[in-house]
Amino acid sequence: MITKSVWRHVLKIQDVLPTLLALVLLGMWSFPSYALPAFARQTGQNCLACHAGGQFPELTPYGRLFKLTGYTMGARSMPLSVMAVLDYTRVRNPKDSTGVKDTVDFHKQGTAIFDVGSVFLAGKITDNLGLFAQATYANYDHQQDNGDWVGHLSPDNTEFRYADRFISPGSDLIVGAFANNNPSMQDVWNSAPAWSYPYVGPTFALGAPASPLLDGGLGQDSVGAGVYAYWNRSLYGELALYKTANGPFGFLHPGDNSGIARIKDGAPYWRLAYTKAFGPHDLMIGTSGLVAEIHENNDVNQPTDRYRDYGLDAQYQYILDPHTVTAHISYIHENVKWGDPLALGYDNASDTLKELKIKGAYVYNATYGASLAYQQTTGSTDAGFFGGPADITGNLSGSPDTTAWIPEVFWTPVQYLRIGAQYWHYTKFSGNSSNYDGFGRSASDNDTLFVYVWGAY
Amino acid sequence: MKTAVYTMLALAIASLGSGCVNLERSRDIGNPNVSGRTLALQVCSSCHGVDGNSTSPAFPKLAGQQEAYLIAQLKFFRGHNRIDPAGSEYMWGITRKLTDEQIEGLARYFSQQKDAPNVAGDPATVAAGKAIFENGIPDKGVAACAGCHGAMGMGKDTFPRLAGQHANYMMKQLHILSETNQRPAGAMMKPLVHGLTSADLVAVTTYLQGVSPN
Ligand code: HEC
Ligand code: HEC
Repeated sequence: MITKSVWRHVLKIQDVLPTLLALVLLGMWSFPSYALPAFARQTGQNCLACHAGGQFPELTPYGRLFKLTGYTMGARSMPLSVMAVLDYTRVRNPKDSTGVKDTVDFHKQGTAIFDVGSVFLAGKITDNLGLFAQATYANYDHQQDNGDWVGHLSPDNTEFRYADRFISPGSDLIVGAFANNNPSMQDVWNSAPAWSYPYVGPTFALGAPASPLLDGGLGQDSVGAGVYAYWNRSLYGELALYKTANGPFGFLHPGDNSGIARIKDGAPYWRLAYTKAFGPHDLMIGTSGLVAEIHENNDVNQPTDRYRDYGLDAQYQYILDPHTVTAHISYIHENVKWGDPLALGYDNASDTLKELKIKGAYVYNATYGASLAYQQTTGSTDAGFFGGPADITGNLSGSPDTTAWIPEVFWTPVQYLRIGAQYWHYTKFSGNSSNYDGFGRSASDNDTLFVYVWGAY
Repeated sequence: MKTAVYTMLALAIASLGSGCVNLERSRDIGNPNVSGRTLALQVCSSCHGVDGNSTSPAFPKLAGQQEAYLIAQLKFFRGHNRIDPAGSEYMWGITRKLTDEQIEGLARYFSQQKDAPNVAGDPATVAAGKAIFENGIPDKGVAACAGCHGAMGMGKDTFPRLAGQHANYMMKQLHILSETNQRPAGAMMKPLVHGLTSADLVAVTTYLQGVSPN
């Protein structure tokens, strides 16, 4: 699934900016400093209690229980938070084969920008019901016909949870239900797509040419509901069904519905995990899956493509003052059977895509951190699907194979502010390490330095 | 699917309609009507363990701890008197709205739980720690820990139980008690810890972690 979507604007930037500014100011004056600050105010705890080494959004074992019990722990309090990211992106070679700068894909090359800002409405509603609703303002949301970029405020991850906990010495059962607009948003482990690395990343840089549907492909395009149970802090199971976020659920989807993925019937999503804690160590091994039939060209009158995505993932955490060590691994295997490959111009009747993501991090004293990630995309060759040669964005081989190493360092001087630098180094891009686009571009030409300042109130 | 969403909405409305409370299984730390026991199970258990036997040494064990000591500490947290970093980061907010009655209920619940044996250390270290705990180090003016913390480290009243406690947590507290004034009732611990080398501290905490008088 090609995930770079173009959102239409419904709200004008001028309408939104004053509100956002007001919220930021309100936030700075009235809030103590916490990381989803609204949740921290509710429990009265430091963000460290829920975020491993203070690395938003990685959850600690306690943070996971907080979420699984429906965001209901604590005392009801001011449920608003704001978050903003300022960043700087520098791609190693921003020029095309004729030496002309590509100002579309690498717009704002080497310039510090205000990139995204979010407003959250989050917290306990009743003893059993909680909400996490995020709206995100992307300052470079999409391009107008004249080529100018415009900002746009859109619904982002949004979730209602209902939970109950039957606990006594010797037995602990958490049961719950949720409704949200992004399959895996409900997950509490950071190897699950919705909350996996990179937690912040470049807006104007190139990434792998394809990613599985399960990895964000239906985010904000779908609405789903599910049920889950977590038994004795060891076995976790979950079952959900996702449909197109249109009709009465259109508010969960950015812009109008012209670009929305049309899911036929409901798409089942499932998740199983086993967890074990021993001393300061915490381990999870899990699997998840999504099966969906999606109409071609987002048109319900056209045939459907059948996606079968299966994932395996694991997480390890060691959290004991002053050290935090976390490791994540996720592997997703996708098979897509095209409904009408001929009409689509694809070479194969079905294609496979495999995505492997590994990441390890160390944080000292919740202040100084470093991480290393490895991401590898491989899959079947389909020149029709990947479009063939084209300067910079083309794909000569017709293969999705892309490999990246991503070292990062970060510093959290105060818990509501993080400053970090990532470097994306590609050893392979769209099937090749050199001349991947048919115009002589090397994978490493897409290497990207990304520096960010992240803040939340 | 639609049915599921409607069911959720119905549940939501029903729970709002029923006055939002579920006293038996509430996680509301701001509602004075929720019992200490319920809060212990629904909230504190997430870090300290359902029976007060926390898995991670990042969180002190509360099982079998002295009731009076627990009450005193919870009030110190609530009143912002125990100001060591972890205390303020984790415990101030949780206790901010607790009533005296809830604090008593919480203390009763955890003091009545049975301590589960913790990891035992290597015999030489344990023997050295045991000697310090039982006899102190008279040459250096270190009084016997047992004098205040009880023969098996079981504690008494506001003298905390140390038997079975996580060594890592005790080590952290010993540094706090000797180097700072962040724990209001800790003054009598200060001179004692000053006479102990870091090897002594490792020995005594290793010994105590493995004590299981049950
Ligand atoms: C998010 C995790 C977390 C939760 C939830 C939590 N605590 Fe704590 N608690 C801690 C940590 C960490 C410490 C150690 C503080 C320190 O080092 O000063 C602590 C310390 C304590 C102590 C002091 C123990 C001692 O030996 O001095 C008591 C008593 C306590 N907690 C009781 C409770 C009660 C009662 C609740 C529920 C109302 C609770 N805690 C909820 C993390 C938590
Ligand atoms: C004169 C009495 C006395 C003696 C002797 C004594 N302690 Fe203490 N200790 C206390 C008191 C009182 C506290 C609780 C302080 C507070 O309430 O903040 C305490 C607290 C502690 C704590 C923190 C417990 C917790 O749960 O947070 C540790 C660990 C400890 N003592 C270890 C020792 C060791 C080891 C020795 C021997 C070297 C020792 N104590 C000797 C009185 C004593």
